Amino acid sequence: MNTEPTGFLYPFIESEERDASSLVADLAGSARAKMADSVALRTATLESCGGLVQRAAAEMADRFGAGGRLFAFGNGGSSTDADGTVELFRCPPSGRPLPAMSLVDDRAVLTALANDIGFDVVFARQIIAYAQAGDVAIGFSTSGDSVNVIRAFEEASRRGLLTIGLCGYEGGAMADSDAIEYCLVVRSDSVHRIQEAQDALVLQLWSAVQDHVPEGSQS
Amino acid sequence: MIATVDAQLGGQETAPAEDLAGAALSLARRFAAGATMWCVAPEWPAHGRHVAVEFVHPVIVGKRALPAVNVEGADVVRALRLLARPGDVLLAISSAADLVSADLMSRADAWGLTSLWLGAGPRPSPGRADHVVWVEGVEPARAARTGDMVLLYHLLWELTHVVFEHPGLLRAEPACTEEVCITCSDEGRVAEVQAVHDILGAEVLVGGRTETVDVSLVDPPEPGDLVLVHAGVALSTLRGGLP
Repeated sequence: MNTEPTGFLYPFIESEERDASSLVADLAGSARAKMADSVALRTATLESCGGLVQRAAAEMADRFGAGGRLFAFGNGGSSTDADGTVELFRCPPSGRPLPAMSLVDDRAVLTALANDIGFDVVFARQIIAYAQAGDVAIGFSTSGDSVNVIRAFEEASRRGLLTIGLCGYEGGAMADSDAIEYCLVVRSDSVHRIQEAQDALVLQLWSAVQDHVPEGSQS
Repeated sequence: MIATVDAQLGGQETAPAEDLAGAALSLARRFAAGATMWCVAPEWPAHGRHVAVEFVHPVIVGKRALPAVNVEGADVVRALRLLARPGDVLLAISSAADLVSADLMSRADAWGLTSLWLGAGPRPSPGRADHVVWVEGVEPARAARTGDMVLLYHLLWELTHVVFEHPGLLRAEPACTEEVCITCSDEGRVAEVQAVHDILGAEVLVGGRTETVDVSLVDPPEPGDLVLVHAGVALSTLRGGLP
């Protein structure tokens, strides 16, 4: 299904158009409407997920305080959400830098696993290799159905990691997974709006972790 | 806790929505003419990767894949000098204080590139890029994480595809017809020095084309320096980038 149709806004497409001014005005109007949608969804999501975020952050802070590390993963645009999460925790705009690793960072490991075994295991195998019981796993999937993300959570859960999932729509398979302790669902069917709200959720989570993390326990 | 573009719409001199519309029209025209969009985000590498994958592998099935490439690493300027071709587009996502982005924006015209700068915080000085789309009045490092930055390039992608539905407008590149055209007028242009032969002659890249200019009026330039060129003469050296 086309979740973000644009054609209806511009039903009379003329191949011989020459004056761009009315199109530019329409584009700006469309952008303004989408901005308002994005802000409304972000505000509603921070509200609805606020309690879960606070509880997850408190547990994360305990684990960071005890020497735990954060592993983040996702596919495509969600891989950049994982990267962005790692950037935020490791090089924060303020507060304490915290140990975080992106499981999409190392292309040698990713392509080796994908080529030799299959893409379904690219994150789970890295969890097996790197993670320990006191660590934290954060995975992103807008559909909630990414097999490699879910398999990484299953592996992480078995190993005693704290597991936090971010997904969209109705949460997909992630919402039903016992392997994910904190599942933060952005209730939208637009991949773009979901990703924008996930950014806001991660910022809220990071901010709450900073509030909780003990002084001087990590550097 | 989120500072949003929404709050900016009233208070800003130029609203992001209008700037995005102009940028999307320009970007679609460049893509239609065969351009590649080169993306850099030195402060926030994840945003550079995200905007590139957005254009290459659209979330909406059936939308065409467009050539957008994220470039990161030790020497982005050198890589892009080799990779980018005249007519391409250079997109930077950063704060105005990011030196690599600012340097690239200074070189874009000399390389013959259309420049597009998305960011947050204090706005770059006027004229630093062909299109500036900015969220003002926020702390950049924080704004990069609220969802506002990703919103800007999601909309840039979406509006660009809307322009593709208007083929007549894709062909309507602004033509050089009047005396106000900067290419033909009395205004100086930024050029990048390629090779210095002697005090009178240096090869420079200006608007993506190589020209020989007189460098006798400026301190001896070195390859990679930017100079302001007018009527075949380098008038000043722009070390450290543009103001």
